[in-house]
Amino acid sequence: MCGMCGLLGGGNHWSNTIPPVKGANARSQRLIHVALANRVLASYRLRLDDFHGQSFVLSSPTGASELVGDFGQVWRVAEQMLGRPLDPLTLFYADEATPPPTPSSTPPSGDRAAATTGHRFADNQSAS
Amino acid sequence: MSPSYDILPVTLVTGFLGSGKSTLLADLLHGDAAKDTAVLINEFGEVGLDHLLVGEVNARTVLLDNGCVCCSIRGELKEALATLFSQRARGDLPPFSRVVLETTGLATPAPIIATLLADPVIRSHYALNATVTVVDALNAAQQRARHPEWLAQVSAADRLVISKSDLADPANLAALARALAELNPAAEVVIRASASETGDILFAPAISTDLMRRLGSVQRALPSGAAFPGFDSATSVEPATQCNGAGDEGSYRTWSRDPASLAHRRAVSSLAAPDRPASQDIVSFCMQIDEPIDWQVFTIWFTMLLNRHGDKILRVKGLLSIAGCAQPAVLHAVQHLVHPVLHLDAWPDAQRTSTLVFITEGLARDSVETSFARFRQHFEEPDH
Repeated sequence: MCGMCGLLGGGNHWSNTIPPVKGANARSQRLIHVALANRVLASYRLRLDDFHGQSFVLSSPTGASELVGDFGQVWRVAEQMLGRPLDPLTLFYADEATPPPTPSSTPPSGDRAAATTGHRFADNQSAS
Repeated sequence: MSPSYDILPVTLVTGFLGSGKSTLLADLLHGDAAKDTAVLINEFGEVGLDHLLVGEVNARTVLLDNGCVCCSIRGELKEALATLFSQRARGDLPPFSRVVLETTGLATPAPIIATLLADPVIRSHYALNATVTVVDALNAAQQRARHPEWLAQVSAADRLVISKSDLADPANLAALARALAELNPAAEVVIRASASETGDILFAPAISTDLMRRLGSVQRALPSGAAFPGFDSATSVEPATQCNGAGDEGSYRTWSRDPASLAHRRAVSSLAAPDRPASQDIVSFCMQIDEPIDWQVFTIWFTMLLNRHGDKILRVKGLLSIAGCAQPAVLHAVQHLVHPVLHLDAWPDAQRTSTLVFITEGLARDSVETSFARFRQHFEEPDH
């Protein structure tokens, strides 16, 4: 527990592990995690917030919100809110699209189709 | 890394029916070797014979009476472990300092590991030390082809012990050892030559310098022609991979350093039983990343990967070089279960390459590696 703010340490999920890096602490790491997760979720119009250093709140633009315990659950709940999968294998495919993919960097045919679908979804989706 | 309070190491001994788990325990756990050790045995069916074979350790044995240790009876396992700890605390049992849990031959290790990791009471008192899987040298090919539990047990292993080696043809034995090393590159393969041979098969921790030796800063190349009866060994090696032909002695692996500094280097093998098409998708591969990894980016990526594809990931084990951190982190996952991440004291040498061994079913190496590369690239760019 943080002696200054009285907040708990965020649970024992493996993602809460704090590397022995100078200056690292649970609170700052948690906020960085949330910020990075929001870079994924923003394109789906979802938002993640820290909740007292112990849980997270995942919110949709329609006002739906849900309390989740750890990052293992964040993505599952986000998929439930969206009604579609959040597949890391197809995320950010557009990032490397310039220049056009070479054969060596082209994902397998199945993945390419999924990636295209995922990208289109990212542009046109709306959170439920 | 060692806590100041009582957390007892648990060694999980698994292996298919008749593979020799109880014999292994009976051989290893007697005299001083059994000192300070409590043994939990899980029986299957109405006629439980296993406890008869354990002999001397019977006094500290608690029999689970509800068949296979699986999801449906996790509570039973939890209760047995909690009872064991209570008896120890009350002085009803001698103050043992380690536990051996023998599963049934039909158990898959993941639910048991889940019990150890997820239950708040159990994880406060026990920690998984290592998973030891006993492989029958004579029947491995048939069991592999017919029983999915065999594969789950081998995939989850930190140590693979080949039993009945005295009855097997030496050539087939060597091929089996190579095939197992291909299937689970993160595991140590031990051929048990005789009952009198003890060694530290049970209690050596899974996370050790030996793991670092196997994984740290080396690239796995493939043994040539692992012709294991009943297996169709299909292998592929990238052009950059060098095979020096001088295998690690006794490990049935051939390792070589790659002079080219590639962001993602790998060597892949796949094992498939020809009469079991569903398992032809099982591959093991080694993902290596030269640059230090941003821990937060990695956790975002890996939690997403496990959420969506955890059922396809049989095993992940390896060392991570975290940016700004001089100590290697050990990542260890069985399906969607991730062990607590530990940081070892130091790297074995000057190399600081992150190395993760994946055993997957229906999840291609390229997809995983490309996905992580995309995440890294995306998060390196400033937020828009």
